[in-house]
Amino acid sequence: MKTSGRGPLAAALAMAMGLALAAPALAHHSFAMYDNDHQLKLIGTVTHFQWTNPHVYIELENNDATAKVQHWTIECANPGILDRVGWKFNMIKPGDKLTVIVAPLRTGEPGALLKQVTLPDGRVFGNGAPAGKALIQ
Amino acid sequence: MALAWAVTAGLALGAAPATAAEIAGQPDISGVWAHAFPRPGQPVDPRLDVGPLPQPPLKPAYMAQWTALREKQKEADERGEPTAGMEARCLPDGMPSLMFAIYPLEILQTPGRVTVIEEAFSQTRRIYLGEAQGKVGDVEPGYYGHSVGRWEGDALVVDTLGIKESVPGYRDIPHSDEEHIIERIRLIAPDILEDQMTVEDPKVLDHPWSFRFVYRRMTGYHMLEYVCENNREVTDANGGTHLQLDGK
Repeated sequence: MKTSGRGPLAAALAMAMGLALAAPALAHHSFAMYDNDHQLKLIGTVTHFQWTNPHVYIELENNDATAKVQHWTIECANPGILDRVGWKFNMIKPGDKLTVIVAPLRTGEPGALLKQVTLPDGRVFGNGAPAGKALIQ
Repeated sequence: MALAWAVTAGLALGAAPATAAEIAGQPDISGVWAHAFPRPGQPVDPRLDVGPLPQPPLKPAYMAQWTALREKQKEADERGEPTAGMEARCLPDGMPSLMFAIYPLEILQTPGRVTVIEEAFSQTRRIYLGEAQGKVGDVEPGYYGHSVGRWEGDALVVDTLGIKESVPGYRDIPHSDEEHIIERIRLIAPDILEDQMTVEDPKVLDHPWSFRFVYRRMTGYHMLEYVCENNREVTDANGGTHLQLDGK
Protein backbone atom coordinates (compact mmCIF):
# COMPACT_ATOMS: atom_id res chain seq x y z
CA MET A 1 0.00 0.00 0.00
CA LYS A 2 1.37 3.41 -0.88
CA THR A 3 1.37 5.69 2.07
CA SER A 4 0.31 8.58 -0.16
CA GLY A 5 -3.09 6.96 -0.59
CA ARG A 6 -3.75 6.36 3.07
CA GLY A 7 -5.12 9.73 4.06
CA PRO A 8 -8.10 9.77 1.72
CA LEU A 9 -8.52 6.03 2.11
CA ALA A 10 -8.57 6.22 5.86
CA ALA A 11 -11.13 9.00 5.59
CA ALA A 12 -13.20 7.01 3.10
CA LEU A 13 -13.13 3.89 5.25
CA ALA A 14 -13.93 5.84 8.36
CA MET A 15 -16.87 7.37 6.54
CA ALA A 16 -17.89 3.93 5.27
CA MET A 17 -17.86 2.50 8.78
CA GLY A 18 -19.97 5.30 10.12
CA LEU A 19 -22.46 5.06 7.30
CA ALA A 20 -22.65 1.30 7.63
CA LEU A 21 -23.75 1.67 11.22
CA ALA A 22 -26.41 4.14 10.24
CA ALA A 23 -27.79 2.44 7.14
CA PRO A 24 -26.73 -1.17 6.74
CA ALA A 25 -29.19 -2.30 4.09
CA LEU A 26 -30.24 0.76 2.16
CA ALA A 27 -28.45 0.23 -1.09
CA HIS A 28 -29.73 -0.93 -4.45
CA HIS A 29 -30.53 -4.25 -2.80
CA SER A 30 -29.79 -6.10 0.39
CA PHE A 31 -26.31 -7.63 0.60
CA ALA A 32 -27.60 -10.60 2.61
CA MET A 33 -26.72 -12.95 -0.27
CA TYR A 34 -23.04 -12.50 0.60
CA ASP A 35 -21.16 -14.21 3.43
CA ASN A 36 -19.58 -11.29 5.22
CA ASP A 37 -18.00 -13.50 7.88
CA HIS A 38 -15.85 -15.53 5.47
CA GLN A 39 -14.09 -12.87 3.43
CA LEU A 40 -11.47 -13.89 0.88
CA LYS A 41 -8.36 -12.25 -0.50
CA LEU A 42 -7.87 -12.81 -4.24
CA ILE A 43 -5.19 -11.77 -6.68
CA GLY A 44 -6.35 -11.72 -10.25
CA THR A 45 -6.41 -10.09 -13.65
CA VAL A 46 -9.34 -8.00 -14.84
CA THR A 47 -11.11 -9.36 -17.93
CA HIS A 48 -14.00 -6.90 -17.93
CA PHE A 49 -14.92 -3.75 -16.01
CA GLN A 50 -18.48 -2.38 -16.15
CA TRP A 51 -18.93 1.16 -14.79
CA THR A 52 -22.72 1.04 -14.76
CA ASN A 53 -25.81 1.49 -12.64
CA PRO A 54 -27.25 -0.04 -10.57
CA HIS A 55 -23.85 -1.62 -9.85
CA VAL A 56 -20.28 -1.61 -11.03
CA TYR A 57 -18.80 -5.04 -11.82
CA ILE A 58 -15.28 -6.38 -12.01
CA GLU A 59 -14.76 -9.70 -13.82
CA LEU A 60 -11.57 -11.18 -12.41
CA GLU A 61 -9.51 -14.16 -13.57
CA ASN A 62 -7.79 -15.79 -10.60
CA ASN A 63 -4.00 -15.67 -10.92
CA ASP A 64 -3.70 -18.80 -8.80
CA ALA A 65 -4.04 -21.57 -11.40
CA THR A 66 -4.58 -24.17 -8.67
CA ALA A 67 -7.51 -22.32 -7.04
CA LYS A 68 -10.91 -23.99 -7.12
CA VAL A 69 -12.56 -20.90 -8.60
CA GLN A 70 -10.87 -19.51 -11.70
CA HIS A 71 -13.22 -16.66 -12.55
CA TRP A 72 -14.99 -14.31 -10.17
CA THR A 73 -17.82 -11.82 -10.79
CA ILE A 74 -17.29 -9.08 -8.23
CA GLU A 75 -20.10 -6.70 -7.42
CA CYS A 76 -19.22 -3.16 -6.40
CA ALA A 77 -21.42 -0.24 -5.31
CA ASN A 78 -22.66 2.18 -7.97
CA PRO A 79 -20.78 4.95 -9.79
CA GLY A 80 -22.18 7.67 -7.51
CA ILE A 81 -21.18 5.99 -4.25
CA LEU A 82 -17.78 5.02 -5.66
CA ASP A 83 -17.10 8.53 -7.00
CA ARG A 84 -17.78 9.87 -3.55
CA VAL A 85 -15.19 7.55 -1.98
CA GLY A 86 -12.58 8.53 -4.53
CA TRP A 87 -12.95 6.08 -7.43
CA LYS A 88 -12.77 7.19 -11.06
CA PHE A 89 -14.66 5.57 -13.93
CA ASN A 90 -11.48 4.55 -15.75
CA MET A 91 -9.22 3.58 -12.88
CA ILE A 92 -9.64 -0.15 -13.56
CA LYS A 93 -9.00 -1.64 -17.01
CA PRO A 94 -8.91 -5.10 -18.54
CA GLY A 95 -5.47 -6.57 -17.96
CA ASP A 96 -4.96 -4.83 -14.60
CA LYS A 97 -3.70 -7.06 -11.82
CA LEU A 98 -5.75 -6.39 -8.69
CA THR A 99 -5.73 -7.58 -5.12
CA VAL A 100 -9.24 -7.68 -3.74
CA ILE A 101 -10.91 -8.57 -0.49
CA VAL A 102 -14.41 -9.85 -1.07
CA ALA A 103 -17.39 -11.48 0.66
CA PRO A 104 -18.36 -14.52 -1.45
CA LEU A 105 -21.90 -15.58 -2.31
CA ARG A 106 -23.40 -17.86 0.32
CA THR A 107 -24.44 -20.28 -2.43
CA GLY A 108 -20.83 -21.11 -3.28
CA GLU A 109 -21.20 -19.70 -6.80
CA PRO A 110 -18.21 -17.70 -8.08
CA GLY A 111 -19.62 -14.27 -7.30
CA ALA A 112 -18.68 -11.88 -4.52
CA LEU A 113 -19.18 -8.44 -3.02
CA LEU A 114 -16.13 -6.19 -3.05
CA LYS A 115 -14.84 -4.92 0.28
CA GLN A 116 -11.49 -3.47 -0.75
CA VAL A 117 -9.42 -3.26 -3.91
CA THR A 118 -5.71 -2.56 -4.36
CA LEU A 119 -4.78 -1.19 -7.80
CA PRO A 120 -1.57 -1.98 -9.68
CA ASP A 121 -0.13 1.37 -8.48
CA GLY A 122 -0.78 0.44 -4.85
CA ARG A 123 -3.72 2.72 -4.21
CA VAL A 124 -6.37 1.14 -1.99
CA PHE A 125 -10.11 1.85 -2.19
CA GLY A 126 -13.14 0.72 -0.23
CA ASN A 127 -16.55 -0.04 -1.75
CA GLY A 128 -18.59 2.67 -0.06
CA ALA A 129 -20.73 2.60 3.02
CA PRO A 130 -23.54 0.09 2.43
CA ALA A 131 -21.16 -2.68 1.28
CA GLY A 132 -19.22 -2.52 4.54
CA LYS A 133 -15.50 -2.79 5.14
CA ALA A 134 -12.81 -5.44 4.77
CA LEU A 135 -12.47 -7.58 7.88
CA ILE A 136 -9.21 -9.19 6.72
CA GLN A 137 -6.06 -7.79 5.10
CA MET B 1 -63.58 25.79 -29.71
CA ALA B 2 -62.10 29.23 -30.37
CA LEU B 3 -63.37 30.35 -27.00
CA ALA B 4 -61.73 27.34 -25.36
CA TRP B 5 -58.40 28.22 -26.96
CA ALA B 6 -58.74 31.84 -25.89
CA VAL B 7 -59.52 30.82 -22.33
CA THR B 8 -56.55 28.45 -22.27
CA ALA B 9 -54.25 31.13 -23.66
CA GLY B 10 -55.55 33.64 -21.13
CA LEU B 11 -54.96 31.24 -18.28
CA ALA B 12 -51.47 30.55 -19.49
CA LEU B 13 -50.71 34.28 -19.60
CA GLY B 14 -52.38 34.78 -16.25
CA ALA B 15 -50.18 32.12 -14.68
CA ALA B 16 -46.99 33.90 -15.69
CA PRO B 17 -46.40 36.69 -13.14
CA ALA B 18 -44.21 34.59 -10.84
CA THR B 19 -40.74 35.96 -11.40
CA ALA B 20 -37.20 35.72 -10.18
CA ALA B 21 -38.09 38.53 -7.77
CA GLU B 22 -40.66 36.27 -6.19
CA ILE B 23 -38.00 33.63 -5.67
CA ALA B 24 -35.70 36.27 -4.22
CA GLY B 25 -38.18 36.69 -1.37
CA GLN B 26 -38.22 32.99 -0.53
CA PRO B 27 -35.83 31.21 1.80
CA ASP B 28 -33.07 29.72 -0.35
CA ILE B 29 -33.20 25.94 0.02
CA SER B 30 -31.67 25.31 -3.41
CA GLY B 31 -28.56 23.21 -3.75
CA VAL B 32 -27.47 19.62 -3.26
CA TRP B 33 -28.24 17.87 0.01
CA ALA B 34 -27.14 14.58 1.54
CA HIS B 35 -28.72 12.53 4.28
CA ALA B 36 -26.98 13.65 7.45
CA PHE B 37 -25.53 10.36 8.65
CA PRO B 38 -23.45 10.74 11.81
CA ARG B 39 -19.71 11.08 11.18
CA PRO B 40 -17.58 8.52 12.97
CA GLY B 41 -15.33 9.85 15.67
CA GLN B 42 -17.11 13.18 15.78
CA PRO B 43 -19.60 14.24 18.42
CA VAL B 44 -23.17 13.89 17.20
CA ASP B 45 -24.56 17.28 16.27
CA PRO B 46 -27.97 17.25 17.99
CA ARG B 47 -29.42 19.18 15.04
CA LEU B 48 -28.61 16.22 12.77
CA ASP B 49 -29.85 13.50 15.12
CA VAL B 50 -33.34 12.43 14.05
CA GLY B 51 -33.49 9.61 16.60
CA PRO B 52 -35.26 6.31 15.98
CA LEU B 53 -38.16 6.17 13.55
CA PRO B 54 -41.39 6.51 15.56
CA GLN B 55 -43.59 3.42 15.39
CA PRO B 56 -46.27 3.93 12.72
CA PRO B 57 -49.77 3.98 14.29
CA LEU B 58 -51.12 1.34 11.91
CA LYS B 59 -54.58 -0.09 12.37
CA PRO B 60 -54.38 -3.70 13.59
CA ALA B 61 -54.94 -5.40 10.22
CA TYR B 62 -52.22 -3.27 8.56
CA MET B 63 -49.86 -3.70 11.50
CA ALA B 64 -50.26 -7.48 11.11
CA GLN B 65 -49.57 -7.18 7.37
CA TRP B 66 -46.47 -5.04 7.93
CA THR B 67 -45.13 -7.27 10.72
CA ALA B 68 -45.58 -10.38 8.55
CA LEU B 69 -43.75 -8.71 5.66
CA ARG B 70 -40.82 -7.70 7.85
CA GLU B 71 -40.63 -11.22 9.27
CA LYS B 72 -40.56 -12.65 5.75
CA GLN B 73 -37.78 -10.21 4.77
CA LYS B 74 -35.76 -11.16 7.85
CA GLU B 75 -36.06 -14.87 7.11
CA ALA B 76 -35.11 -14.31 3.46
CA ASP B 77 -32.02 -12.34 4.52
CA GLU B 78 -31.02 -15.12 6.92
CA ARG B 79 -31.31 -17.64 4.06
CA GLY B 80 -29.08 -15.39 1.92
CA GLU B 81 -31.89 -14.83 -0.58
CA PRO B 82 -32.97 -11.25 0.16
CA THR B 83 -36.42 -10.20 -0.97
CA ALA B 84 -36.20 -8.07 -4.10
CA GLY B 85 -37.30 -4.53 -3.25
CA MET B 86 -38.14 -1.87 -5.80
CA GLU B 87 -34.50 -0.93 -6.35
CA ALA B 88 -33.44 -4.52 -7.02
CA ARG B 89 -35.96 -4.50 -9.87
CA CYS B 90 -34.56 -1.24 -11.24
CA LEU B 91 -37.62 0.71 -10.10
CA PRO B 92 -37.38 4.05 -8.30
CA ASP B 93 -38.45 4.11 -4.67
CA GLY B 94 -40.90 7.01 -5.10
CA MET B 95 -42.46 9.11 -2.33
CA PRO B 96 -41.69 9.36 0.47
CA SER B 97 -38.70 6.98 0.45
CA LEU B 98 -36.66 9.03 -2.02
CA MET B 99 -36.57 11.83 0.56
CA PHE B 100 -34.47 9.54 2.79
CA ALA B 101 -31.72 10.53 0.34
CA ILE B 102 -29.34 7.61 0.50
CA TYR B 103 -28.10 9.31 -2.69
CA PRO B 104 -27.94 13.11 -2.93
CA LEU B 105 -30.98 15.33 -3.46
CA GLU B 106 -30.85 18.46 -5.58
CA ILE B 107 -33.41 21.21 -4.96
CA LEU B 108 -34.16 23.80 -7.64
CA GLN B 109 -36.27 26.91 -7.05
CA THR B 110 -37.88 28.51 -10.09
CA PRO B 111 -40.95 30.75 -10.37
CA GLY B 112 -44.01 28.85 -9.18
CA ARG B 113 -42.10 25.64 -8.62
CA VAL B 114 -39.73 23.77 -6.37
CA THR B 115 -38.16 20.71 -7.97
CA VAL B 116 -36.47 17.90 -6.06
CA ILE B 117 -34.19 15.52 -7.94
CA GLU B 118 -32.81 12.40 -6.29
CA GLU B 119 -29.63 11.08 -7.85
CA ALA B 120 -30.71 7.41 -7.79
CA PHE B 121 -32.83 6.75 -10.87
CA SER B 122 -32.81 10.54 -11.55
CA GLN B 123 -36.11 10.69 -9.65
CA THR B 124 -37.92 14.02 -10.03
CA ARG B 125 -40.58 15.56 -7.80
CA ARG B 126 -42.32 18.71 -8.95
CA ILE B 127 -43.91 20.83 -6.23
CA TYR B 128 -46.32 23.40 -7.64
CA LEU B 129 -46.46 26.56 -5.53
CA GLY B 130 -49.73 28.30 -4.86
CA GLU B 131 -51.90 25.67 -6.55
CA ALA B 132 -54.77 23.88 -4.86
CA GLN B 133 -54.52 20.16 -4.21
CA GLY B 134 -56.89 17.89 -6.09
CA LYS B 135 -59.14 15.23 -4.64
CA VAL B 136 -58.75 11.47 -4.39
CA GLY B 137 -59.99 10.05 -7.67
CA ASP B 138 -59.07 13.18 -9.64
CA VAL B 139 -55.32 13.14 -9.07
CA GLU B 140 -53.59 10.64 -11.33
CA PRO B 141 -51.62 8.21 -9.15
CA GLY B 142 -47.86 8.03 -9.62
CA TYR B 143 -44.58 7.21 -7.91
CA TYR B 144 -44.20 10.76 -6.57
CA GLY B 145 -47.85 11.75 -6.32
CA HIS B 146 -49.07 15.27 -6.98
CA SER B 147 -47.39 17.88 -4.78
CA VAL B 148 -48.52 21.43 -4.10
CA GLY B 149 -46.72 23.84 -1.81
CA ARG B 150 -46.73 27.23 -0.17
CA TRP B 151 -44.32 29.16 2.00
CA GLU B 152 -45.36 29.59 5.63
CA GLY B 153 -42.71 31.85 7.09
CA ASP B 154 -39.40 30.05 6.68
CA ALA B 155 -41.01 26.67 5.90
CA LEU B 156 -42.07 25.24 2.57
CA VAL B 157 -45.26 23.34 3.35
CA VAL B 158 -45.99 20.63 0.80
CA ASP B 159 -49.05 18.43 0.44
CA THR B 160 -48.65 15.28 -1.64
CA LEU B 161 -51.56 13.10 -2.73
CA GLY B 162 -51.85 10.35 -5.31
CA ILE B 163 -48.96 8.03 -4.51
CA LYS B 164 -49.63 4.72 -6.24
CA GLU B 165 -50.68 2.02 -3.82
CA SER B 166 -48.21 -0.33 -5.52
CA VAL B 167 -45.31 1.92 -4.45
CA PRO B 168 -44.12 0.64 -1.06
CA GLY B 169 -44.39 3.13 1.76
CA TYR B 170 -41.36 4.27 3.73
CA ARG B 171 -39.84 1.12 5.31
CA ASP B 172 -42.58 -0.82 3.48
CA ILE B 173 -45.29 0.60 5.72
CA PRO B 174 -48.69 0.12 4.06
CA HIS B 175 -50.59 3.09 2.66
CA SER B 176 -53.85 3.69 0.81
CA ASP B 177 -55.13 5.88 -2.00
CA GLU B 178 -56.28 8.40 0.65
CA GLU B 179 -52.75 9.04 1.89
CA HIS B 180 -51.64 12.65 2.16
CA ILE B 181 -48.06 13.46 3.08
CA ILE B 182 -47.56 16.90 4.58
CA GLU B 183 -43.98 18.14 4.64
CA ARG B 184 -42.48 21.18 6.32
CA ILE B 185 -39.12 21.78 4.68
CA ARG B 186 -36.91 24.46 6.21
CA LEU B 187 -33.34 25.43 6.93
CA ILE B 188 -32.47 24.85 10.58
CA ALA B 189 -28.94 26.21 9.99
CA PRO B 190 -27.36 27.70 6.87
CA ASP B 191 -26.15 24.28 5.73
CA ILE B 192 -28.70 21.99 7.40
CA LEU B 193 -32.11 21.30 5.91
CA GLU B 194 -34.98 19.55 7.70
CA ASP B 195 -37.98 17.78 6.22
CA GLN B 196 -40.65 17.18 8.84
CA MET B 197 -43.09 14.66 7.37
CA THR B 198 -46.57 13.86 8.57
CA VAL B 199 -48.44 11.00 6.95
CA GLU B 200 -52.21 11.24 7.09
CA ASP B 201 -54.00 8.11 5.95
CA PRO B 202 -57.31 7.53 7.74
CA LYS B 203 -57.84 4.13 6.06
CA VAL B 204 -54.56 2.72 7.34
CA LEU B 205 -53.41 4.82 10.30
CA ASP B 206 -55.15 5.43 13.62
CA HIS B 207 -53.77 8.96 13.65
CA PRO B 208 -51.20 10.99 11.67
CA TRP B 209 -47.64 9.68 11.81
CA SER B 210 -44.71 12.08 11.89
CA PHE B 211 -41.01 11.61 11.38
CA ARG B 212 -38.24 13.73 9.96
CA PHE B 213 -35.21 13.70 7.74
CA VAL B 214 -32.24 16.03 8.08
CA TYR B 215 -29.78 16.84 5.31
CA ARG B 216 -26.33 18.34 5.13
CA ARG B 217 -25.39 20.66 2.27
CA MET B 218 -22.97 19.19 -0.31
CA THR B 219 -21.13 22.27 -1.45
CA GLY B 220 -19.89 22.13 -5.04
CA TYR B 221 -21.28 18.65 -5.75
CA HIS B 222 -22.44 17.97 -9.32
CA MET B 223 -25.26 15.47 -9.53
CA LEU B 224 -24.55 12.34 -11.58
CA GLU B 225 -26.82 10.67 -14.07
CA TYR B 226 -28.33 7.33 -13.08
CA VAL B 227 -29.62 4.97 -15.74
CA CYS B 228 -30.40 1.48 -14.46
CA GLU B 229 -28.85 -0.21 -17.50
CA ASN B 230 -27.05 -3.22 -16.10
CA ASN B 231 -29.22 -4.95 -13.53
CA ARG B 232 -27.64 -8.29 -12.78
CA GLU B 233 -29.88 -8.99 -9.82
CA VAL B 234 -32.31 -11.67 -10.91
CA THR B 235 -35.58 -11.99 -9.04
CA ASP B 236 -36.73 -15.61 -8.72
CA ALA B 237 -40.31 -16.93 -8.59
CA ASN B 238 -40.30 -16.54 -4.79
CA GLY B 239 -39.20 -12.91 -4.99
CA GLY B 240 -35.65 -13.67 -3.86
CA THR B 241 -32.62 -11.89 -5.33
CA HIS B 242 -29.70 -13.67 -6.98
CA LEU B 243 -26.58 -12.35 -8.68
CA GLN B 244 -26.39 -13.17 -12.37
CA LEU B 245 -22.85 -14.29 -13.06
CA ASP B 246 -21.32 -13.09 -16.27
CA GLY B 247 -18.44 -15.54 -16.52
CA LYS B 248 -16.55 -13.53 -19.12
